[in-house]
Amino acid sequence: MIFQALQSLMTPTSLFAVFAGTVSGVFVGGMPGLTATMAVALLIPVTFTLEPLTGLILMGGVYCGAMYGGSIPAILLRTPGTPAAVATALEGYPMSQKGHGGLALKVSVISSFVGGTFSVLILLLIAPILAQFALIFGPPEYFLLAILGLVGIVSMADDENKLIKALISGLLGLIIALIGTDPISGMLRYTMNMTDLYDGVAFLPALIGMFSISQMLELTGTKSIIFEPSTMKKIKREPFPKGLKKFIAIGSATGTIVGLLPGEGATIAAFLSYNFARQHSKNKKLFGKGNPEGVAAAEAGNNGCVGGSLIPTLTLGIPGNSVAAALLGGLLVHGLIPGPELFTKYGVMTYGFILSLFLANLIFLVIGLYMSPYFARIAFTPTELLIPVVCLFSILGSYAMNNSLLDIFVALLCGIGAVILQKTGFSLGALILGLILGPIAETGFSQAMIMGNGNYAIFFDRPQGIILWLIILLLLIPPVIQIFRRHRQK
Amino acid sequence: MTKRLAELLSLSMFLLIAILLYKSTMNFPEVVQNSTAAYVRFLAICFGGLCLLAILLRLKSKSTEENKKLDLAAAPVRFWSLLILMFVYSLLLEPLGFYLASALFLPVTMVVLGARKKILIALTAVGVLLFVYIVFAKLLGVPLPESSLF
Repeated sequence: MIFQALQSLMTPTSLFAVFAGTVSGVFVGGMPGLTATMAVALLIPVTFTLEPLTGLILMGGVYCGAMYGGSIPAILLRTPGTPAAVATALEGYPMSQKGHGGLALKVSVISSFVGGTFSVLILLLIAPILAQFALIFGPPEYFLLAILGLVGIVSMADDENKLIKALISGLLGLIIALIGTDPISGMLRYTMNMTDLYDGVAFLPALIGMFSISQMLELTGTKSIIFEPSTMKKIKREPFPKGLKKFIAIGSATGTIVGLLPGEGATIAAFLSYNFARQHSKNKKLFGKGNPEGVAAAEAGNNGCVGGSLIPTLTLGIPGNSVAAALLGGLLVHGLIPGPELFTKYGVMTYGFILSLFLANLIFLVIGLYMSPYFARIAFTPTELLIPVVCLFSILGSYAMNNSLLDIFVALLCGIGAVILQKTGFSLGALILGLILGPIAETGFSQAMIMGNGNYAIFFDRPQGIILWLIILLLLIPPVIQIFRRHRQK
Repeated sequence: MTKRLAELLSLSMFLLIAILLYKSTMNFPEVVQNSTAAYVRFLAICFGGLCLLAILLRLKSKSTEENKKLDLAAAPVRFWSLLILMFVYSLLLEPLGFYLASALFLPVTMVVLGARKKILIALTAVGVLLFVYIVFAKLLGVPLPESSLF
């Protein structure tokens, strides 16, 4: 069946669909405000007129390409093209500032390729078995998973003052995430009667404000993104750094596992991978200052999510994230119902689609490797031209998500707020982490409390929960011990 | 304003938010008192407690670093001009529509930030607007803010 699938993929139409989808995906991912979900959703009506396999291949290409594309502006302009690229910006942008933007892009595309290919391989080999694993996760485990993500905050600090401020920032993110509708009662909270806030503070505008607009405001005092323009010559010649394999492997595995949990997105996968990489790195001090290990783990993580998120989508009909949900819509309009039949009766098409994802990964690898020196030249654009253009796209990107003017003001307020918070020593990374994990933590906690009749024991009495607690403790102990050691030394 | 004062002000504001957040849960329906209200209370207690601890540490600290002036921007005139221009641009999007508002925002901001070559300014502005028109409006059908006046 796989041989037949390969044959159906090797037709000119299918090959063109993979190419067109992946190139469009890289472009969509690279533009703030255009998301992979939006692109896949826009493609569904287009695929009506196409053969089902061609339509699916096109959407799969967009998905893979967009996951990688988001890292390009994140690295060069600190403007994440997609929310999943925020963790990449934490290390990629400082690398660009030091004149190593080309290298950061190279690390990003290779890690994205490995992460994406690994997860698709897992999808191809053991999809139905892994899908059962996703079903053993209930609300208490989702809450613990959010806590696991928040543990990253502790590793973002290196003394007790910074730790307290990082924790305050993370909690502030969780508090901002409370705005909107109560997930249990449907009651409106802290919305100030603004209809645009009923669904909560839109995540992408907040993100654009905190990362992109704040950075453009900071850049008003400089002539170029790069501190030393003399480093320009290095762009084409930097070799791939040694020792990144471990971090790519961590990202790939984390991305695939997080991806197959329904509701968990590529953003969380990237942050978790970044956090794990930080914990296992010998160069912990370099994190936040342009460490390629962080870029490698985050990018392998968010691309690892692609294959992972398609496992529950194709086997159970439960989308792993919003892009997979849009893709599920594409499957359904062609009469393809997720389940065992997809791998037997429609096996040629399903395997053809999965195999096309390998090709999509290969295409963006070639595009990325060939084009990264040219992309990196953006960093040399004079700031007086660059800032207005990036600000325009940031404002447009904030508006385009929900066609809401309020979202633009959210982005602007987050932008100036981020500058003030950063100058007073608070952690933007922790705040974003809180904002991302807020809804998952709240829904998981509230549903678990209802399940346990108000008894907190529900978080401790299930084996999968105990395993998660152990992982949390294992991640928490080393940085806390380090902080205490440093405190003693002082 | 010194960095220390700015930090104390932010922390005090956060402490106030924590108190208000905790109090707000009393107005939550009875049905969620053991679920979402408990979660909000938990956040408020942690947030308030940490803010209080940070305030105490800040008051106890005698570091000279924190008595330095808080510099929000290296070039304050450009910084605040850009921020004001972005707010004005956002306010103009509805009455003027995307293209007209952007045709004003781009060149004005470039000049304010120090660009002087007229051809480069014009080419960049026209190029960006053409790109948005072709890709966002025509190719992807992304709705852009439309003028309410014209």
